[in-house]
Amino acid sequence: MVGTSLRRHCCHLLGALLAGTLFVGTAAAHGGSLGAGGRESIQIPTWLFLLTGGGAIGASFLLASFVTDRLFVEEFHGWGKDAVVPARRLLVALGRLAGLVGLAAVLGIGFLGPDAALANLGLLLVWVGWWAGFTMTTYLVGNTWPVLNPFRTVASVLPALDRDYPARFGAWPSVVGLLALIWLEVVSPLADDPRLLATTILGYAAVTLAGAFVFGPDQWFTTVDPVARVFRYYGRVAPLTRDDTGRLRLRLPGSALTDARLVDGLDEVAFVVALVWVTTYDGLVATPLWRGVATWIVDLGVPPLVLYPAALVAGYLAFFGAYWLAARGARRLADSYVSTRVLAQRFAPPLLAIAAGYHLAHYLEYFLSLAPAALAVAPTPLAGSVTGEVPIGVIPGWFGALNLSFVLLGHLLAIWVAHAAAFDRFPGRLQAIRSQYTFTLVMIWYTMTSLWIVAQPTITPPFL
Amino acid sequence: MTDTDTSSERAGTDAPAATDRAIPDEYDLPSDADPVVCDHCGAPFAEAELLALHRGIDHADALDASERDAFEDAYESEEERLRLFRLKALGALVFLYFGLLITYSVFA
Repeated sequence: MVGTSLRRHCCHLLGALLAGTLFVGTAAAHGGSLGAGGRESIQIPTWLFLLTGGGAIGASFLLASFVTDRLFVEEFHGWGKDAVVPARRLLVALGRLAGLVGLAAVLGIGFLGPDAALANLGLLLVWVGWWAGFTMTTYLVGNTWPVLNPFRTVASVLPALDRDYPARFGAWPSVVGLLALIWLEVVSPLADDPRLLATTILGYAAVTLAGAFVFGPDQWFTTVDPVARVFRYYGRVAPLTRDDTGRLRLRLPGSALTDARLVDGLDEVAFVVALVWVTTYDGLVATPLWRGVATWIVDLGVPPLVLYPAALVAGYLAFFGAYWLAARGARRLADSYVSTRVLAQRFAPPLLAIAAGYHLAHYLEYFLSLAPAALAVAPTPLAGSVTGEVPIGVIPGWFGALNLSFVLLGHLLAIWVAHAAAFDRFPGRLQAIRSQYTFTLVMIWYTMTSLWIVAQPTITPPFL
Repeated sequence: MTDTDTSSERAGTDAPAATDRAIPDEYDLPSDADPVVCDHCGAPFAEAELLALHRGIDHADALDASERDAFEDAYESEEERLRLFRLKALGALVFLYFGLLITYSVFA
């Protein structure tokens, strides 16, 4: 989701490394050294690289299909341990305070701090600290956003009208909100201009607080606010969760994604698909292919201002359509009378594991390379860096292999979770396996698309 | 194997008769469908074997002897087809592995 120049250098690096280190086994056999200098990368055609990625997904589906012991699958997903959090009230209060201080810092430094993106701690806090770093914790550890969320903290002390939220809207406003946020992030220099970022956050705060005032904070942050909902969904991948009584529960990562209650309507399916699509869109508009297509379309007389949102919506509908067709195919192949809609709901949560895997692959390197910059400017936030320069972390070459493994791990987890959900949904074991054919095809297609995007040279989106 | 009208567990429920039980919302029957329907919960299935498996899994505590037998038969027969499927899956894996290996030896 991070836009423009802050993103560029590491995406490019990731692409080159993905292409080179997929075959690390062979490379290591030559050199026997893991140091960047001792490695040889093998040049392979892009289509072979994509084929290998798709093949890995297909193979993992076949491997998962060997596990047909219902009880084993259920026990595996039901495993968990409970614990009471000590000093919970204190921790919650500290978390809320940290969220408020963070927001104040982002706004204050954003407006008053240095202009340069890499020297502005406010901007670094948002993109490096929050969108890269914090988001990782939501799917790797647990979702703490409901506590940290400064807008929620503020809304909870303000009065609220608690009007009834129109049920027919469901979570659709959050789908539109998520797509709108991504559109804004892609077409505007939000990741380069600290003033613009701070202003945007103020705008978001106004909308959010108004919404929470009218419908009540709980309703607003669980149904409408796209940011809170992104973290809530990412949090379902995480090993730690909290039950209603406040006890902490440890579970296997991703094991909660088989829960049928997680996605309970078409609007929720739409949100999960949007979460997956926005990552792809963000990368797609920075590829040379997009530059070619966009130039061609603009030459036909379509203004760029229309082109970007149109492509966002068209791509989203294509993603949703592909997913819907997969659900329909699953119904037919499994010879089941369960409605397409219910199947689409049931197999949407596994996509979250994929989204988390891509986020980690994109942003861990980004986080590690830019965190030193944030630390360097932290002592003097308003003046920027003392020496006038900021340090950037140098990421070792083997990191590319790690990134690739995150992408694949996300997919493996998704394949497994979908397999377990199918066993939970269908009475026949063979029926459950057959229901996954179309979903696996869609995942293979999606993996290959994403790997292709990641392997492309990253350019600045044209006409912006 | 769907003959379960003697089952006494359902005496307390307010469903009038097995065949009249409403199909739950989550199912969507094609107009030309001829389903067998679970008389515990109303779930429709395309085949009697799937119904037998469903009863064994979702209503394990409410089975009578004939339903239990039907479940075990269905489970056994499914096991055989699973064995065949595993062989095919193994074949596909081997094909995938060597296919990629050969492709690499030619193009990389």
